[in-house]
Amino acid sequence: MQATETFPETDVRTDEELVGIVVGGDVDCFEELITRYQPRVFGMARKYFRNESDAEDVVQTIFTKTFQKLSSYKGTAPFEHWFMRLSVNACYDALRRKRNRPEHTISDMLFDDESWQDRLGNIPDASDRVGLEEARELVYTVLDQVSARARIVLTLQELEGRTIKEIAEITGWSESLVKVQAFRARKEMRAAVERFLSREKRIVT
Amino acid sequence: MTANEIEKKLLKLAKSVQNDKRASVKFSARVMTRVREQHALETSSADERFLKFARNLPGNEHVPYAFEKRIMARIRELLTPDPLAFWSRMLWRAVAPCFGVMILAALFSAKEPTAAFIDQAAFDPAETTTETVDPESTDFETVMLASFDDLEYTW
Repeated sequence: MQATETFPETDVRTDEELVGIVVGGDVDCFEELITRYQPRVFGMARKYFRNESDAEDVVQTIFTKTFQKLSSYKGTAPFEHWFMRLSVNACYDALRRKRNRPEHTISDMLFDDESWQDRLGNIPDASDRVGLEEARELVYTVLDQVSARARIVLTLQELEGRTIKEIAEITGWSESLVKVQAFRARKEMRAAVERFLSREKRIVT
Repeated sequence: MTANEIEKKLLKLAKSVQNDKRASVKFSARVMTRVREQHALETSSADERFLKFARNLPGNEHVPYAFEKRIMARIRELLTPDPLAFWSRMLWRAVAPCFGVMILAALFSAKEPTAAFIDQAAFDPAETTTETVDPESTDFETVMLASFDDLEYTW
């Protein structure tokens, strides 16, 4: 007689199934969706906000909004796309609100020991936590100088490597608007970097 | 043969070559590498270097402990009905209709006396010259002041 092995039934539900269950009234299933997406959302939020509590606030807002708007999800597109669009828009709103109170200035990020140009050439190792923190601070300081729209476009296009079409889908803007915004964003960023360099030169001389 | 052994062998070989015959290949290669690096650094603009730097930084996807529990607690809080919030929401919703009713009432009260006056003048022109006294208002006044009239007698 052949021994039959009983394998546990795979209990991995798809995002769409989970959404259906939550909309149906089982709110507890939303926790599974949160657990599934929170690392990605935290990774994204930390690209926009240097302060950990700000990132946590945004992530909380994203999940609360998702829950509130879950019934409007039609299921025509994958849940992931719908959710990422909502997340990016929430980050954009939070950035716009935060624009009026910058935390650091360019002068704060001028280093005594090493020039800014040299720092750009050396990406610290993953084990070098202090170096990584300093590098992130530098990136935040430059990106804090540009507008919220420019920052969203720069992050999506230059740092995450998304295409114009993808950015248009995520942000809900037209492709031509994304192109215009990308051009303006590069211009704003170039100006911020030049400001940084000119200050450094002034201090050195 | 390990890398160290190869290096030692090459070093020995290099030392064996006479000074005047020594080719500066190694030195020039080293210099050229540095020159190329410097050239690449100078030709790429500062903003491109910055973007490259930012792109290559590792992301941080760390999630605080039991963060999903915190969000679930917040969501459950949202689901429980708050009577005070419901009341204030209803009050805010009532603002516009109440304002509309107020304006309508004000308009009617402003228009009514003139309309009554015109109607009266049309039917009875003699009445327009004398002061018209509404009998209902005199009755109302008598009823309201009845208790005070009694007071006079008690004094």
